[in-house]
Amino acid sequence: MARMKFLCDADRCIECNACVTACKNENDVPWGINRRRVVTINDGKPGERSVSMACMHCTDAPCAAVCPVDCFYTTADAVVLHSKDLCIGCGYCFYACPFGAPQYPKAANFGSRGKMDKCTYCAGGPEADNSPEEFAQYGGNRLAEGKLPLCAEMCSTKALLAGDGQIIAQIYKERVAKRGYGSGAWGWKTAYKEDIAT
Amino acid sequence: MIATPLFRHLFPALLAMLLCVAPVAAQQPSAVNPTASSVTEKQLLDALKPNSTDTIAGRVSIPDVRAGNLIQPTGVEFRAYQTTTIFQVGAIAIPGMLALLALFYLIRGRVRIQGGPSAQTIVRFAWFSRFVHWMTATSFIALGLSGLNLVFGKTLLLPVIGASAFSAMSQLGKFVHDYVSFAFALGIFLMFVMWVKDNLPALRDIRWIVQFGGMLGFGHPTADRFNAGQKLMFWATILGGGTLAVSGYIMMFRPVSFAISAMQLATVVHGLTGVVLVAIILAHIYIGTVGMEGAFRAMGRGTVDLNWAKEHHSVWVEKVARKRPKDISGGPAPAPAE
Amino acid sequence: MLTKRSDTKTRRARLAHIDAHGHTPLDRRSFLRNAGMTATGLAAVGTLGAATVQKAHALPPVDLGKPTTVKKNICTHCSVGCTVTAEVQNGVWVGQEPSWDSPINRGTHCAKGAAIREIVFGDRRLKYPMKLVDGEYNKISWAQALDEISAKMLEIREKSGPESVWWLGSAKFTNEAAYLYRKMAAFWGTNSVDHQARICHSTTVAGVANTWGYGAQTNSYNDIRNSKTMIIMGGNPAEAHPVSLQHVLTGKEINRANLIVIDPRMTRTAAHATEYVRIRAGTDIPVIYGLLYHIFENGWEDKTFIEQRVHGMNDVRAEAKKWDPKTVEDVTGVPGEQLKRVAEMFAKQKPSTLIWCMGATQHTVGTANVRAYCTLLLATGNVGAPGTGANIFRGHTNVQGATDLGLDVITLPLYYGLDDNAWRHWSRVWEVDFEWLDGRFDKKPGPNNTTINYRSLPGIPSTRWFDAVTIAKDQIDQRDTLKAAIVFGHGGNTVPRMPEMMKGLAALDLLVVADPHPTNFVSLAGRKNGTYLLPIATSLECDGSRTASNRSLQWGEKIVEPIFESATDYWAIYELAKRLGFADKMFKNIAMVKGKFGDEPEAESILREINKGGFSTGYCGQSPERLKAHMKNQKHFDIVTLKANADAPAEIAGDHYGLPWPCWGTPAQRHPGTPLLYNTNLHVKDGGGTFRARFGVERMMKVKAQENGQEIEKEVKENLLAEGSYSLGSEIKDGYPEFTMAVLKKLGWDTDLTADERTTIDKIGGNNIDGVSWATDFSGGIQRVAIAHGCSPFGNAKARANAWNLPDPVPVHREPIYSPRIDLVAKYPTRPDFKSFRMTNAGFSVQKAAVDKGIGKSFPIILTSGRLVEYEGGGEETRSNRWLAELQQDMFVEIHPADAAARGIVEGGWVWVDGPENNAKIKVKALVTERVGKGVAWMPFHFGGWYQGEDQRKNYPAGTDPIVLGESVNIITTYGFDPVTAMHEGKVTLCQIRAA
Repeated sequence: MARMKFLCDADRCIECNACVTACKNENDVPWGINRRRVVTINDGKPGERSVSMACMHCTDAPCAAVCPVDCFYTTADAVVLHSKDLCIGCGYCFYACPFGAPQYPKAANFGSRGKMDKCTYCAGGPEADNSPEEFAQYGGNRLAEGKLPLCAEMCSTKALLAGDGQIIAQIYKERVAKRGYGSGAWGWKTAYKEDIAT
Repeated sequence: MIATPLFRHLFPALLAMLLCVAPVAAQQPSAVNPTASSVTEKQLLDALKPNSTDTIAGRVSIPDVRAGNLIQPTGVEFRAYQTTTIFQVGAIAIPGMLALLALFYLIRGRVRIQGGPSAQTIVRFAWFSRFVHWMTATSFIALGLSGLNLVFGKTLLLPVIGASAFSAMSQLGKFVHDYVSFAFALGIFLMFVMWVKDNLPALRDIRWIVQFGGMLGFGHPTADRFNAGQKLMFWATILGGGTLAVSGYIMMFRPVSFAISAMQLATVVHGLTGVVLVAIILAHIYIGTVGMEGAFRAMGRGTVDLNWAKEHHSVWVEKVARKRPKDISGGPAPAPAE
Repeated sequence: MLTKRSDTKTRRARLAHIDAHGHTPLDRRSFLRNAGMTATGLAAVGTLGAATVQKAHALPPVDLGKPTTVKKNICTHCSVGCTVTAEVQNGVWVGQEPSWDSPINRGTHCAKGAAIREIVFGDRRLKYPMKLVDGEYNKISWAQALDEISAKMLEIREKSGPESVWWLGSAKFTNEAAYLYRKMAAFWGTNSVDHQARICHSTTVAGVANTWGYGAQTNSYNDIRNSKTMIIMGGNPAEAHPVSLQHVLTGKEINRANLIVIDPRMTRTAAHATEYVRIRAGTDIPVIYGLLYHIFENGWEDKTFIEQRVHGMNDVRAEAKKWDPKTVEDVTGVPGEQLKRVAEMFAKQKPSTLIWCMGATQHTVGTANVRAYCTLLLATGNVGAPGTGANIFRGHTNVQGATDLGLDVITLPLYYGLDDNAWRHWSRVWEVDFEWLDGRFDKKPGPNNTTINYRSLPGIPSTRWFDAVTIAKDQIDQRDTLKAAIVFGHGGNTVPRMPEMMKGLAALDLLVVADPHPTNFVSLAGRKNGTYLLPIATSLECDGSRTASNRSLQWGEKIVEPIFESATDYWAIYELAKRLGFADKMFKNIAMVKGKFGDEPEAESILREINKGGFSTGYCGQSPERLKAHMKNQKHFDIVTLKANADAPAEIAGDHYGLPWPCWGTPAQRHPGTPLLYNTNLHVKDGGGTFRARFGVERMMKVKAQENGQEIEKEVKENLLAEGSYSLGSEIKDGYPEFTMAVLKKLGWDTDLTADERTTIDKIGGNNIDGVSWATDFSGGIQRVAIAHGCSPFGNAKARANAWNLPDPVPVHREPIYSPRIDLVAKYPTRPDFKSFRMTNAGFSVQKAAVDKGIGKSFPIILTSGRLVEYEGGGEETRSNRWLAELQQDMFVEIHPADAAARGIVEGGWVWVDGPENNAKIKVKALVTERVGKGVAWMPFHFGGWYQGEDQRKNYPAGTDPIVLGESVNIITTYGFDPVTAMHEGKVTLCQIRAA
């Protein structure tokens, strides 16, 4: 079974935010919830790099470890998902997550957290694949349709890669070999405890 | 850019000043190759100081400043705290305290009124004081239970009652925790205002502590309205409760200027303070109920047996007799609050 | 590239499921209403805090009986031409999929393209026609709106003449709508019809067309993959054309190419450069001469190319000599060493391309900038081959097409100009009386008993319309000032000097805004009556073709019917023309189809009329059938060459994607389109070509010569035709003029014409058959015969390094109107005041006054402007899109840390930015960054809806206000116009910034 990962080639990323709006489009994510975002390091200086970041679907995911109600689960594709029926909006996963992936709608009581929302790798949630219940809670389920997350599919410069970890690592390696530079597979060491030797 | 969150959020002006010390492009360098000078993830990870709260951060256009953290390594420590530290501290503190109290009970038994009950009572807590105490006490129990659920529930309860029920319960617990916190915080504040002047340390407290309130030997050290043990309990409650309230409201309201490490810190402090305070309060409950004869009615009816008062708070009794003699009544006084 | 999992459960299953749950199809209105109710209801129960993420929209209605249909259209947000693939169910756009087959975007989008579906959810759209009555917008019917508008227009025509109505069209029109709009203005009787190209690439079109023939990108986005050296100068495609970066960065990687970014600002594009050159804004010409200096000094120029294909390079050489490295560094701030390195790369590591955008064009020297860029390409022989060329990235989806189709005050469709020949050509195509058309126009007596006919006079450009409203009657060269503005698809914050514009806006008798959104025009207070808002569909709700920047035409299908009460441009134009009394003539040869509101002109039929008259620019071969075949078979086109691959079906075999113009001859002749202009390496029939013979065959020049030991000045004829250069397979192995019947006869090729062709030519020519040319012969015969002999129909000439008809035939540096370098203003002043486009261009007086006032002291910071990836143009449409608006919620100014510190300005704090004219000021947030250099500030130009610190949200009709409002940069930008096209100065002015 494939081990799905994301890889953002920062030497291609131009902070166009297509990944961000593609996500909103596919999953109908409301204002204020950013399942994906683009962070620009060293903004305005030579050497600046932008990186698109969302849930990396970590190996041994910290969010799952700290969840007090055990609402996370990992699919056969190694996608880390959670059940909003179980989530209580405690916020611990946000503090444990190295990538700032978990998002929370504001609940009406003192603006405290509602149920956590995050990137699903366009793989929905625990409900039946592509059921209206699943769509209402988690958005689309492209993986079940044999498609990849829309953010990566629509990335303007093909900087954001999604797919089997070995394959996208290979693509990245070949790119770096071809062009002679690479700022690294951002987040891989943290998320997957591995790096891509280039 | 590696920014220490505290630095970034609290001293932006300083940061701006530092930046403008950097050479500016009046006369630009004759070679600028952005591709060759690109930052790499490795450089940034290597530059992170161990045991610091640094993050790899940059600019985002959305207003959520925390979204600028690309990678925050302190999550690892938070995970260790959440999965191990708090669990261990709680597992030691709470059963440990219970064991200690049981042992104490076995050794010492119930502390009796040595002179036996008298026919006289003395007013110890007016209705408002008792109201505040019980408001704080009940809310603390609700907060404590719902809080402990988040620490131990996953291990102890979830396997028993199942995910849905446990989640529903925890969700309810979270609402309770959020709402009841206000009663608790108010209680802590009022208790502080009401009782702080009687809880200031006094010289005789030293003797009380040395003799451990007379509980182990015979003869009672003198005490004013509150003895040193009660004062310690007061300060533990005020400081612990205050800490819980402050850290809790930080967690609840998530001020924008707080970096993620500050939020993590608030969570850690809240959790650890919580379990320790629960343990301390267990001792308080013990001594106020089974541990000591005649103690409960101080908060129950508001009056105490004069003999009990004389044994434990001799100085206070003298003061009351002198200043407000009508607080001491002949027979068992009807409780004003009832 | 991306792996897929095999087991599939379709989206339809989800949708079917909904139906199984008994959801009944809803109409759009109740659907939106329900969504609103749900949101409110949840807010009420949400107090307990168990809130989960609420969908931004409710699920669309679905009818299981109607399966998902997939429709393709083109993204409206820039000129790259990304295909948008829409999934439609029950008339509602329910999903968007990557357009993998498109050779242009290959599945990808930028933020705007990936969010484009939101536009057609549209809860901020203008929903029905509205009329301003005593300061309040009231809902009215389409019929009432059109009746009242046309009556008012006819009244103005009666009182002030046709020239007092000003028409503003749109780069978001389809080609067909653009053409109809231009035609409508012609039938109304004015040339005052303009669109966004005025303010984006009018100077490019003028500069490039005057150099080698056509005003367009010579190569393509895809072709950049072939380049070894790329210079991006005055452009930030990473934000303005993100999908183009796919090609740029791939090229950079696979060729290990040099990517040089020359810009005052360290942009997101510059972050990926191999060399970043920071220049002072407004000094492009000295930078180019700085490069040419090294090129000529070291003999790096392409001597053969210059000799065979360039006229007047010696004049450039002389000018370049003045720009030694020291002078260049003083003026531009760029070290000589760096420019030398860049010059060597560009000249020696070929093929090299030069990419530019509005950083080059929006200047008082815009045309000269473009000319300088072209000269650099010519000097290094970098035109007319793969990987080379002037890769001009245009702005909107169809700004190229709208320009081509004549939304321009100086020409009829397809660059025929405004002279009698042009009008006669189009009256033949339209089958209307030339005399009738002529009678539609104002005339006035000219000097020496002549008559000045407004039919042949350039109209009022969009940068100056408000001057033409408020100016004294005797100061404008027409019967009366402007009284009415008919604005289709154009923002109100796109041109500098908004305080002046406010006055013009207030003084108009009639303002019509026909747009999917109310636009910034309505947010600017001041009008109480005489204003109509007409809800127009986006081009996503519209059939028709669009021309991408690379000249490829793509056919877009109507994805859904226009939402709310919006109508298509076609219908609105038709209905207006009916009421103005010339619809029968105007739509004589255009078929009608049943549209949303009844008969509406058919897009295909309009395109056929364009084909019929479009020979000058090669818009003649792209029939709707061919374009549709291309869209259907997108996957068969090569990603680099855009050529259909070997296994392509017969209907597209041999074609280039989108039949990039010129696509010669009739559709039946099946020319494959021209992916690279002026490419002599290909046969003309395969898309090859030569430089166009547009400026005659020879030029009389005065040269100094030695004769009998004395220096004398004598006249020589300089050959303007190519010498020894010709396209592959040409039977004429040298330069040649454009093809006319006379030329054909001279060559003896006229006998190749078929009888039918000959009949048509005879009919066109009347008693001057020899004068019928490749551009006016709409039998296509002359083009066919020329191409059969391997020749370009438009001739084979030299490109012009000296364009003698322009104000500065060889570009010379001129300081911006508001320059921080007073010393240099004296040395390089702007052009003297002169009259153009019916009014005075007083640039020189303004510049002098600014210097005399010592403006640089009170306004020490250079202000420049540009684009954000999330927004487009004036921004009303994109700021109304919640998915985009969330990403940029505040108007801001980029300021250097040193400038910020000196002013006590902190990141994210509010600041006032003061402009040097009209005491204008705007309140924006500070973004402290080293993207800008010290003493430079930058602002995005997409914001509107605030005016000098005041929120104008209340001025929008309820529910149509964009989500994000902000100050427009053009409130504080200033005077200045290009002498050739009246392009505004949008890229350099001065300002002061203070903490608010």
